Amino acid sequence: MIARMPAVGEDEIGEMVPLSLLQAGESGRVGDVVGNVDLVHRLREMGLCDGATVWMIQPGSPCIIGLDGHRLCFRCDDLARVFVQLPAAC
Amino acid sequence: MLIASDKSTWTIALVGNPNTGKSTLFGALSGVNQRTGNYPGVTVEKKTGEVVHDGRRWLLVDLPGTYSLAPRSPDEMVTVDVLLGRRRDVPPPDVIVCVAAAGNLWRNLYLVSQALELGRPVVLALTMNDLAENDGVRVDVAALADRLGIPVVPIHPRRGEGLEALKAAVERAGAGEAPAPLAIFPEEFRREVDALAETLADVPRYLVERLLLSPSPYIEDGLGLDDDDRAALRERIEAARERLAEAGCKTPQVETTARYAWVGKATDGVVRRGERRRRLVDRVDAVLTHWLSGSLVLVLVLLVTFSAVFSWAEIPMDWIDGGFKAVGEWVSTTLPEGPINDLIGGGIVAGVGAVVIFLPQIVILIGLLAILEESGYLARAAYLMDRIMVRFGLSGRSFIPLLSSFACAIPGVMATRSIEDRRDRLTTILIIPLMSCSARLPVYTLLIAAFIPARSYLDGWIQLQGLTLLAMYLVGVVVAAAVALILKRSLLRGGAPVFVMEMPAYQWPSSVAVVRRMIDRAWDFLSNAGTIIFAVSIVMWGLLYYPRLSPEDAAPLIARQERAATELEAARTGGDSEKIAAAATALKQTEDHIAGAQQRQSLLGRMGRWIEPAVRPLGWDWRLGAATLAAFPAREIIVSTLGVIFDVGDDVAEDGNEQRLVQAVQTAKRPDGRPLFTIPVALSVMVFFALCAQCVSTLAVMWRETGSWTWPAIAFTYMTVLAYVGAFLTYQIGTLLIS
Repeated sequence: MIARMPAVGEDEIGEMVPLSLLQAGESGRVGDVVGNVDLVHRLREMGLCDGATVWMIQPGSPCIIGLDGHRLCFRCDDLARVFVQLPAAC
Repeated sequence: MLIASDKSTWTIALVGNPNTGKSTLFGALSGVNQRTGNYPGVTVEKKTGEVVHDGRRWLLVDLPGTYSLAPRSPDEMVTVDVLLGRRRDVPPPDVIVCVAAAGNLWRNLYLVSQALELGRPVVLALTMNDLAENDGVRVDVAALADRLGIPVVPIHPRRGEGLEALKAAVERAGAGEAPAPLAIFPEEFRREVDALAETLADVPRYLVERLLLSPSPYIEDGLGLDDDDRAALRERIEAARERLAEAGCKTPQVETTARYAWVGKATDGVVRRGERRRRLVDRVDAVLTHWLSGSLVLVLVLLVTFSAVFSWAEIPMDWIDGGFKAVGEWVSTTLPEGPINDLIGGGIVAGVGAVVIFLPQIVILIGLLAILEESGYLARAAYLMDRIMVRFGLSGRSFIPLLSSFACAIPGVMATRSIEDRRDRLTTILIIPLMSCSARLPVYTLLIAAFIPARSYLDGWIQLQGLTLLAMYLVGVVVAAAVALILKRSLLRGGAPVFVMEMPAYQWPSSVAVVRRMIDRAWDFLSNAGTIIFAVSIVMWGLLYYPRLSPEDAAPLIARQERAATELEAARTGGDSEKIAAAATALKQTEDHIAGAQQRQSLLGRMGRWIEPAVRPLGWDWRLGAATLAAFPAREIIVSTLGVIFDVGDDVAEDGNEQRLVQAVQTAKRPDGRPLFTIPVALSVMVFFALCAQCVSTLAVMWRETGSWTWPAIAFTYMTVLAYVGAFLTYQIGTLLIS
């Protein structure tokens, strides 16, 4: 299970993929959030900030992701795209 | 910094993220001493409570849940202004209590880092430790307090644990100094804030920082600058942002980066995160949020909810009906014959009783929806519905206000406050009255019970009456979807809205909160019944009772009635049961004829016949037209008016356990003897009520929430037109199909 993998170290560079490509149970580190400035700031305030570990709970659009002990659901569309770094080992 | 105060009254502000149990804490601290109101000019609920601690009075202010103290709307500006002591209607807070959930301390501390910059003493209340421990999260409270430099108190407000410790911590904090401001931001940024602050006298540093981070017209409005100064300020801010961007500290990202770096340091080694096991509740959640299984469960939950409303309410409704019947009988036998007897028995008791009988259904519906919301399930439903809502130009966020509007549109309109985008919020408000609220239930129930055959399919699991009711709800929903689509493409044009929402953890609904909502709605409903409906019942009775038939018109009718009575008497002495039955029928017919002549002659009858041409295409007679017109202030009035018109105090056969008004409408006749109601007529009335905006209170709350009469006027107009067209089509098509 990818979810059980230890979090990647800061110096390891994994592949950057859109969050929406994660399968249920997969996790990654938030690399970049791009899109509408206000929305991006709001997502970052809610914890989708550089380096935070997120895991996919319910893929799709909208999706549910796990983030520091809570669940966040949001629609990944043109307004905001979240890119995550996959653990380097996989 | 703020100095310890020894005044006799302290103000304590409660802030925290949504779903942290902040309101539960507020309720546990203030008990019954709560007041809710509104801050003038905005739609923020002002919740205050009172606590007496050690002889000192505390004014508790519960602020709306928020993730950040960055004002993006006038409503959010209120929270910031209250905390900074910049509002005249709330004294500056002596202590700020931050409520944070232990399970996601990381995100909660973001808000705490902002609160620590406000120059007031801060106490951190840590909730949901039990849930966090289930998730394998352990917080070292003492170490956390040490790192943050503020008191941290673990609490469990529902069990009342930790409240005394919290109060003691607040007392100590209020008597002490405010924490020193944090140096969270990079050096360059702080220098720019200092420089900007020098040009803005008397503006709290926190607001200066916010101005530099992101443009906020609401903060600028509060500075009292004229246009030139404002433009100059914007130029200075713009220049500072450019300098910062060159120095590698871009706004507004610098805020989240800097604050989360601080949070990371503060929690490092303090929060231990064990292996997060996949628990049963996670598996259940996966089923409930799956697009297919989740949607099926949602449909099932809604179906069970609405059928429970009917089956559970039946017995208490019979009690209420029996009670009003007994009162009516007592009145008609005790008081002398005449207008007073008829006013009380046929007007007030029949009218108010016809409406009060629906109290059990309304209370049960409100209770079930409150349970669904408190348990955290409604957030999942909103998530599932987003896929569908987005097709109509709305987001899943609009789902909870729309669903609560099935109970009552007023809380529904107020719940739209959580929708950030103005156009989405207005669209949601405009379609909310199309959701069949609990006040429509009386109309549906009455007509369905009277005219839809009690057939059942699949061993009684599916009932035709239930399906009809479902169809009425669906009429509203389908029309609402179409209206939303049209609005989002015309008047309120805009793209698909943003959808970001936290999924709260599942929890057992608090019975106190559920019961409180049930009582609130029951009280609203009964006070409506005691005022508007009471008054309308009397007016309707008067319009129907006066003027009486003139002696010349009445004489031949009374003579006929007397002849029929004598014949009945004669038949009784003869003892022939067939003759007795025939004579009794003849007498009944004469009496009905007199009552009908009197009603047509009355003021209401005249008005009704005047509007009859307008309602005839809907299949209605003047009585239905008049009763519908009278129901424009509050739709449930139609039931009381029908109660008055068909005077259920009298004469309705006593067989079976059918409620009396149901029998009265079943036997209602047109002057030519045909039944008044056929199935198409009953459906046409129901569709009219499903689509019409007959509720003054809803229109008033729409005005309050949108700040203009335009929106309620638009809602009223489009809904009245739709209701008429819908009822017309229903009757005409229904008649074609049946004949």
